[in-house]
Amino acid sequence: MAVSSPSSNILLLLLISSLDWLSTPGLAFVSDRDHTNPSAPLEPHFTECISREQETFRCWWSPGTFHNLSTPGALRVFYFKKESPTSEWRECPQYIHSNRECFFDKNHTSIWIPYCMQLRSQNTTFFNDDDCFTVENIVRPDPPVSLNWTLLNISPSGLSYDVMVNWEPPPSADVRTGWMRIMYEIQYRERNTTKWEALEMQPQSQQTIFGLHIGKGYEVHIRCRMQAFTKFGEFSSSIFIHVTEIPSRETTFPLAVVLVFGIVGILILIMLIIVSQQHRLMMILLPPVPAPKIKGIDPELLKKGKLDELNLFLSGGGMGGLSTYAPDFYQDEPWVEFIELDTEDADSGEKEDNQGSDTQRLLALSQPVSHHMNIGCSNAISFPDDDSGRASCYDPDLLDQETLMLMATLLPGQPEGGEASLDVEEGASASERSKRALIQTQTAGPQTWVNTDFYAQVSNVMPSGGVVLSPGQQLRIQESTSATEEEKQKNIKESEDRGDEKKQKELQFQLLLVDPEGSGYATESHARQIGTPPSSPMPGEGYQTILPRQRRPNPQWIDNQSPYIAPDSPQFQFSAPVSDYTVVQEVDTEHSLLLNPPPHQSTPPCLPQHPFKALPAMPVGYITPDLLGHLSP
Amino acid sequence: MSGTIRSVSVVWLLLLCLVLCRTLTGTGAAPICANAQAGCYAVSLANLFDRVVQHSARMHGISNDLHSEFEQYFLPSKNQVGRVGRNCHTSTILTPNGKENAQRMAREELTEVILKLLVAWRDPLWHFHRSMAHHHDFTNFSSDKALEMSDMVHELRKGVERVAEKMQTLGLMSDPVNSQVSPEALPPPDSGEWRRMKDYDLLYCFRRDSNKVKNYLKILKCRIVPEHGC
Repeated sequence: MAVSSPSSNILLLLLISSLDWLSTPGLAFVSDRDHTNPSAPLEPHFTECISREQETFRCWWSPGTFHNLSTPGALRVFYFKKESPTSEWRECPQYIHSNRECFFDKNHTSIWIPYCMQLRSQNTTFFNDDDCFTVENIVRPDPPVSLNWTLLNISPSGLSYDVMVNWEPPPSADVRTGWMRIMYEIQYRERNTTKWEALEMQPQSQQTIFGLHIGKGYEVHIRCRMQAFTKFGEFSSSIFIHVTEIPSRETTFPLAVVLVFGIVGILILIMLIIVSQQHRLMMILLPPVPAPKIKGIDPELLKKGKLDELNLFLSGGGMGGLSTYAPDFYQDEPWVEFIELDTEDADSGEKEDNQGSDTQRLLALSQPVSHHMNIGCSNAISFPDDDSGRASCYDPDLLDQETLMLMATLLPGQPEGGEASLDVEEGASASERSKRALIQTQTAGPQTWVNTDFYAQVSNVMPSGGVVLSPGQQLRIQESTSATEEEKQKNIKESEDRGDEKKQKELQFQLLLVDPEGSGYATESHARQIGTPPSSPMPGEGYQTILPRQRRPNPQWIDNQSPYIAPDSPQFQFSAPVSDYTVVQEVDTEHSLLLNPPPHQSTPPCLPQHPFKALPAMPVGYITPDLLGHLSP
Repeated sequence: MSGTIRSVSVVWLLLLCLVLCRTLTGTGAAPICANAQAGCYAVSLANLFDRVVQHSARMHGISNDLHSEFEQYFLPSKNQVGRVGRNCHTSTILTPNGKENAQRMAREELTEVILKLLVAWRDPLWHFHRSMAHHHDFTNFSSDKALEMSDMVHELRKGVERVAEKMQTLGLMSDPVNSQVSPEALPPPDSGEWRRMKDYDLLYCFRRDSNKVKNYLKILKCRIVPEHGC
C-alpha cells in the first residue's frame, strides 16, 4: 500500500513508532531519529518498508528537509543483501518516483536474508543501521475481503442477539500453499462511539460476536497479521450491523390472553352443564339402592317408628290385610326383596310342595328348609329370594324355643288347639307376638301343613335323657339312634294298627322313647288311640310321656287326662286333644311332668280372622287340687 | 474460594489426564511408526503432517517469545540486523529463500534441508539452556522456554524423519534422506556479556531458522496432502 503524501508519511512514521518502539529488527527506521533530534535538519531517510505477501516488498523514502533533493532522481536507493560474503550494494530494481517508492519484485526478494537500505545522493550517502531488516519481519498482510454478517439468534428476552461474521483471507496472501499463516482480529464498536472492542485473534475465517443489543447500530472491521509476528495489516472497510426490535412480542401477548379467556369460558360451560343436569348425573353416578320391601306391605310401614302399624297390618288389623293382596303386590318387581309371609289364600302356588314332611326335611339336615321356615327363607318358593338376609333358613333369631313351639303348633295348621297357644304367647313381648303372628299368617294351607311335624313341643325331658314330645305330631329325633329305629317300628306299628286312620297318618304323634334300654316304649298312637288301654306303661296319653317301663301310670291320672284327648275329633286334624303347650303343673317324684289338660277353646280372641289357623291349644285350666290329690302317687 | 475452585479444577484435570493418558498409552503402547509394523501404531500421512506442522509452528512461536524477551531486557540500542559480523552457524546450509524457490525444490531436497536445520540446532540449544540455567539473570519463564525449545527441536526432527519414511513407503519420495549431518562446532564462550550477545544472536538465528522450518513444512504438506487445511 503506497503512501501518497509527506503528511501521510509522517503519520505513518508516528504510527509505526508508536507500534514498534521495541525496534524489532528491520523496522526501526526513523523513530529514534525523530525523537532525538527534532530541531536538526532531517536528512533523507526511508519512511517505511512493507511486504504484503512475503514475496515482494516496497520501501518509501523521504528527502527530509533537504528539499533540493526532492526532485526525482536526486536520491538513489541502494540495497545490500547479505547473501554471500561477496555481496555488494545494488541499486533499487524498480523505482516509482511518484511515490518515492522502491519496489522489489519476487526475483529480488529473499526471505530470511537481511537487507540493508541506503539513500545516495550525488555525493553523499545517507545510511542508517536501523534500516536493515529481513523480509519476514516487515510483512503486513492485506486486510481480509468480503466481510459480511448473519444473525445467529436472539435472546429470549428479545434484548440482545448474536451475529456471525465471516470473510475471506486477503487474496494477495498465499494461504492455500501454506506460505503464510494469518491470524485475524475483529473489532467492533457502537455507532458514534470511539472505543473499539477487540475480539481474540484466531486463524479461522469466521467469528461470532455475542451480546449485541437490539436497536443499536454497530460498526465492524477486521485486520490480520502473520502468526508469531507482530505487525498488523491495515483495517478493512467497516460493515454496519443493525437489528431492529422484533414485533413478535406483541403478537404473543394477545395470544396468551385469548388462551386464558378460552380456558375460563370452557370451565364455566362445564360447570353450567353439571349444575343443570345435576339430577341426571346423580342418577348415573349414584344409582338408587333398592329398598327392601315386604310383599304386600307398604314400604312406608317399614320405616322407623311405625312398628305398631306394621304389626297391625300384618296381623290383619289393617285394611284388607296382607293375605289378600300379598301375592300379587310386587309380582313384577323381581328386585324387590320380599319377606315371605304365607297367607291362607296362597293359591299362587308359592307354597312349597308336600314332599315328605318338613320335619324330615328339617332333621335331615341335607335338605333345604321349606318355606315354613321363617321370615325371609324362601328358597324353595317361587320367589327365589337370594338376598333374604338370612344365612340360612335356620335363623337362630327365631328358632328359639318359642318359635319351635309355635311352629310345632302351626304345623298341623289347624285352628283347634293351636290357637290356644297364642294365649300363652300373649304374655310374651310384642315383638315375639308379631313374629308369631307372622308365622301364623304364613301357615296357611292346612293340607300342606298336615304333614309337617318337624317341630314338636317338648313336653318332658326324662331323666334318662328321653324327650317327651307333645302328641299330635310326628317328630323324629335323631339324638338317639335307637329312637330312630323305634320310630320306624312305631311307624310300622301305627300303620298296622290304624289302618283306618290313614287320614290321620300325618297327624300321628309319635312319642319318642328315648329310653336307652329300649325296653318299654309307648307310642303316641297307642296313647292316643281312644280306648286303647295303655298297655305300655305310659301315663299320659297325649302327652308326652315317655316314661320308663317301670313307670306305672296313675290310672286316675290317665282317666283324668283321657277326656282331654280327643284324637278323633274331626275338626281337629291334630287328632289330639293334647295340646302342644301345656302348663307344667308338677313334677312328681318319678320325674314325670304333670301337665295341665289342654283347653277346649282354641282360638284366642286376638286372632279372630284366622279360624283355621293352626294354633296350638293352650291349656286354660289347671289341675284342680282334688285332681291333684288323685294324681299324687 | 478461588483457591478451592482452582484446586478442584486441578484435581479434575489430573483425573482427566490420567484417563486420557491411560487411553492414549493403552492405544499408544505401541510407538507411532510410519508403517504398520508389528508393535507399531500407524498414522496417516496427513495426520503426521498436521502434527509436524503444528509442532514447528509452536517451536517458532516459542523462539519468537524468547527473542522478544531478550530484546526487552538485554537490548542493544541499535538494530542488530545490520551487523555484518553476525553470522549464524547455519548459514552454510543452502536453504530456499523464497516461495518459488521452495516450491520449485524437490521434496527430497526440501526434506533434507529441514532435517539439516533441525540437526544443526540440537546442540546449540542444549548449551543455551544450560547457560541460561547457570546464570540466574533470566526468569524461570525464559529458562523453561529454552528447555522446551531444545526438546521440541529434538521431537520435530524425529517427526520429520517419520514423515520422510512414510513418504518413502508411499512412493512419494525416492531418495533416502540423509540425516547424518554433523552439527557445526560452536564458538567457545568468552565472557558473560559476549555470551549474552551470543545468546541473543543464537536466539535470533534460531528464530529465523524455526521460521524457515515451519514454512518449508507447510509448503511440503500443502504440496503432498493439499486437502487438509491448506
